[in-house]
Amino acid sequence: MTEPILSTQDIVVRFGVLQAVSHASIDVVEGRVTGLIGPNGAGKTTCFNVITGLQEPTSGKVFFNGKDITNKNPYKRARMGIARTFQKLEVFGSLSARENILVAAEQRKTWDRSGFDPNAVCNEMLEKVGLSDVSEFMVGTLPTGTARLVELARALALNPRVLLLDEPSSGLNEDETEEMASLLRKFVDEGLAVLLVEHDMSFVMGTCEYIHVLDFGTIIATGTPAEIQANPVVQSAYLGTETVEEAS
Amino acid sequence: MRGKLNGRLVAAIVVALILAFIVNKNWGAASFFDSKNLSTFLVVGIALGGIYAITAGGLVVTYATTGIFNFAHAAIGCFLAFVYWQLSHQYHLPLLLAMAITLLVVAPALGILLDRVIMRRLRDASLVVQLMVTVGLMLTIMGLTLTIWSPKTSRTIPHFFESSKGVQIGSVVATWHRIITVVVALLVAVALRWLLYRTRLGISMRAVVDSRSLAGLVGAKPSVISGASWSLGCMTAGLAGILIAPETGLVVENLALIIIVAAAAAAIAQLKSIPMAFVGGLIIGLATAFSAVFLQFGKDYSYASEAIPCVILFIALLFLPQARLSTGKIRLTKRTERLTKPWEALLGAFAIVAIVGAWANGWIPWFTGTTFGERSAIWLGRGAGFLVFGLVMISLIPLIGWAGQVSFANFAIAGIGALLFVHFGGGDGNPMGIVWVMLVCAPLGLLIALPALRLKGLYLALATMAFAEFTDKVIARHPSLLDPSNSGVLYKPLKILGFSISSAANDRKAFVMFLVITFALLFLMLELLRRTRWARRWIAMSDSPAASATIGVNLTTSKMAVFMLSGAMAGFAGCMLGLQNGALRVDSFPMFAGLPIVLLLAVQGVRYPIAAFMGVLGLASFPAISEVFGNPSWLTQLALIGPGIAAVAMAYRPEGAVFYTGRDVAGLLPWRQDARDEKKLLEAKEREQNIGKDEINDLGLTRPFTEDKVAQLDRVLAITDLVDEKKMVPGGAR
Ligand SMILES: Nc1ncnc2c1ncn2[C@@H]1O[C@H](COP(=O)(O)OP(=O)(O)O)[C@@H](O)[C@H]1O
Ligand SMILES: [Mg+2]
Repeated sequence: MTEPILSTQDIVVRFGVLQAVSHASIDVVEGRVTGLIGPNGAGKTTCFNVITGLQEPTSGKVFFNGKDITNKNPYKRARMGIARTFQKLEVFGSLSARENILVAAEQRKTWDRSGFDPNAVCNEMLEKVGLSDVSEFMVGTLPTGTARLVELARALALNPRVLLLDEPSSGLNEDETEEMASLLRKFVDEGLAVLLVEHDMSFVMGTCEYIHVLDFGTIIATGTPAEIQANPVVQSAYLGTETVEEAS
Repeated sequence: MRGKLNGRLVAAIVVALILAFIVNKNWGAASFFDSKNLSTFLVVGIALGGIYAITAGGLVVTYATTGIFNFAHAAIGCFLAFVYWQLSHQYHLPLLLAMAITLLVVAPALGILLDRVIMRRLRDASLVVQLMVTVGLMLTIMGLTLTIWSPKTSRTIPHFFESSKGVQIGSVVATWHRIITVVVALLVAVALRWLLYRTRLGISMRAVVDSRSLAGLVGAKPSVISGASWSLGCMTAGLAGILIAPETGLVVENLALIIIVAAAAAAIAQLKSIPMAFVGGLIIGLATAFSAVFLQFGKDYSYASEAIPCVILFIALLFLPQARLSTGKIRLTKRTERLTKPWEALLGAFAIVAIVGAWANGWIPWFTGTTFGERSAIWLGRGAGFLVFGLVMISLIPLIGWAGQVSFANFAIAGIGALLFVHFGGGDGNPMGIVWVMLVCAPLGLLIALPALRLKGLYLALATMAFAEFTDKVIARHPSLLDPSNSGVLYKPLKILGFSISSAANDRKAFVMFLVITFALLFLMLELLRRTRWARRWIAMSDSPAASATIGVNLTTSKMAVFMLSGAMAGFAGCMLGLQNGALRVDSFPMFAGLPIVLLLAVQGVRYPIAAFMGVLGLASFPAISEVFGNPSWLTQLALIGPGIAAVAMAYRPEGAVFYTGRDVAGLLPWRQDARDEKKLLEAKEREQNIGKDEINDLGLTRPFTEDKVAQLDRVLAITDLVDEKKMVPGGAR
């Protein structure tokens, strides 16, 4: 197995008495989609916040590209190549869809010296996620699903090395979800590392090469999709034994 | 963790040293160890602190239970103190009865009224709107109080039991009034604590802030709760007002200014802890008494003791913990607009110059009469004044409108700029002086914001308001900035392109033209800036700080940049302010004078540069309206009440007049298909959201389920196909 580009070590996050994440270690490897699944409230979003620096962990470390980034500012992590989307939309509602992406592309100028043209990147991303038609509309006026695509394009415009996606398919219909899956595939084949939180099981099982299962803040299983589906702990804790039996 | 602790320790030591230096330098003749001095200090300090504690406690209760920081808190207390005076000293009701009516009838009624009419609409409003509405309420209440009870008559509320001796404490007599004050403060503290932690109403009041749906689950009615919160707030405000009025006199400005004290105490309480709010109030009371008894500020700092609450607020801000970058809280405003194109901006700039130019030259027939809008020297002078305020407004657009940093300090910065300009060339008519002033004001703008940069936006508003007060009481009164003996015109006319620009009657037309041209240029500059990455980054930062950080925006430096820009623009406005005033006095820049400027801009729409021009017209409308009615006495406070009420109305129209006009007009223009398209999208989106609220109720009862309704419902209720067995198989659904 290749060296992970991003890994967390024994992350613990406590909110008062609630231990939202307990000793979670997650590895993300370049060129593949890593899944992070678990029921609501399992601590998935909190893990994302720890990785991107929005939440300080109570203990534990985050490594990126071999460096300890646990105490780095969120913006510095972004500059190193970590991008994300949010479960609850965090778009820039009073900028147009184009500007949302442009902000990111221009921001990338501050650390990426490859001499790219932000406007070109922006157009390319709009094209890729299929937003060219609505690019001039204020994002606040767009439907949720479309706004989610704006967020995705904004993250991709940073040309990240690791992309964290927090329930990207919620608000999308089946076709759009499938389109997103194939888009992701393209980027991943070019070497992007993706950490995916998702409730849509067919999406997860069809896209991820490797999956971590989180339950009550603890990683209860890791493995390939097939292994996860066969894992009895996962079945009882998360997927519901009954359902799995019916499926098999 | 360790580094942070050390940082705080260092800050604490530095602050302590500075305070020790100031105290030492200004130590008066009084001996600290004299028991009389000491007991005076304690008796006065604790009594004053008790009153401050009540007002701060009430402010924190309303904030903690409604999420709205009420800038009008002290003004409400002031109003109620006047009501009490009216009942007790005009209608000669017994004191206790008058107090009971004021605090148990009028105050709760006012609270419920405020809640119903205004505050309830603010729950989901942006911070900018919340701030503007409550500041507007403050000005409205102040204006109304001044209208009802003319400040020309002096009124006093006597101390309680003024005739009896009081109690001997040490070598000092504690009057009954002070003893009552302290007892009442203690009772209020205990009562508030008991109410919030021991009663069902209080517990639901606290729950409601955390989660409205949670409060609904425990069976609390949100409407009852917020009504109760506001009533409680008004009652504590009124109580404090009645208790402090005998000390300060029934003077509206003094009583309304207590908001700074309350804000400082609330900052110490981190806006949530009621016991700490009381401690904060006590600290401020003691500090004030300490300075009154022991310190003697030199004549250079004669008003420094009045700035103590401001300084305590700044210190409190230094020690507040850093705000988290929270997620999931953004609200998507439904805005249909597009970027202004450069040629449109150019057209706008020309229009501004043309309109004002035509007026100033007397080419507009209706405005050449003898009274209303008369193009006389008086009105040209006023016009210059409004344009100067317009320059202050335009300096706020990048700051408040784009970066979302609500600052009330820009008028104070402009004031400092005006004073600096005297020294930097304005005294000799040297235009280069303007550049120097701008270069000083840019870092000044940053300096003011520095303590609040890492905190929630509300603290910035508090800090900047405190700075405005500090400027009025300390900076603008320092003789090295403004020689108090010099009462003449401080500036020589500016010579630009052969025109002479000053406030002298002959120069006024040129001055107005110069102002409007620079105004239009700044307008154009902002419109073009809006299309650059700077403005984009600021707006992004304001829309979602968390998302900005995760795309690599350094929030600190980007805020710093906008504060510098705004500071420089305010500095320019300041030079013009000085030139327009000609002669300046030490009290030319009171804190309250800056507020209507901010409010009028916000009312027009703080995101749009053109709003600054509309704000100028708004300013001009108040004296014009007053003239139309023949300057009646009930309109004397229009300059306060007008902007106040307009700002309060933002509870109903949060985006500002420019936005609503623009939206409605754009759709009518034949070439703006985009506006119509966007409106359609918006309506579709609203439908999508409303299904969560109304349509769920009657779905299936009055109308049959349709497939897309079910799909929408699933989305609203976050029902995922988690247990859909077909999808368990990898790719099984495909
Ligand atoms: N800022 C916070 N303060 C307190 N509790 C929180 C906070 N953020 C998340 N939690 C709690 O932590 C747990 C994990 O939440 P989250 O990471 O959002 O779960 P998931 O994304 O897996 O649904 C939940 O019980 C949630 O209520
Ligand atoms: Mg989540």
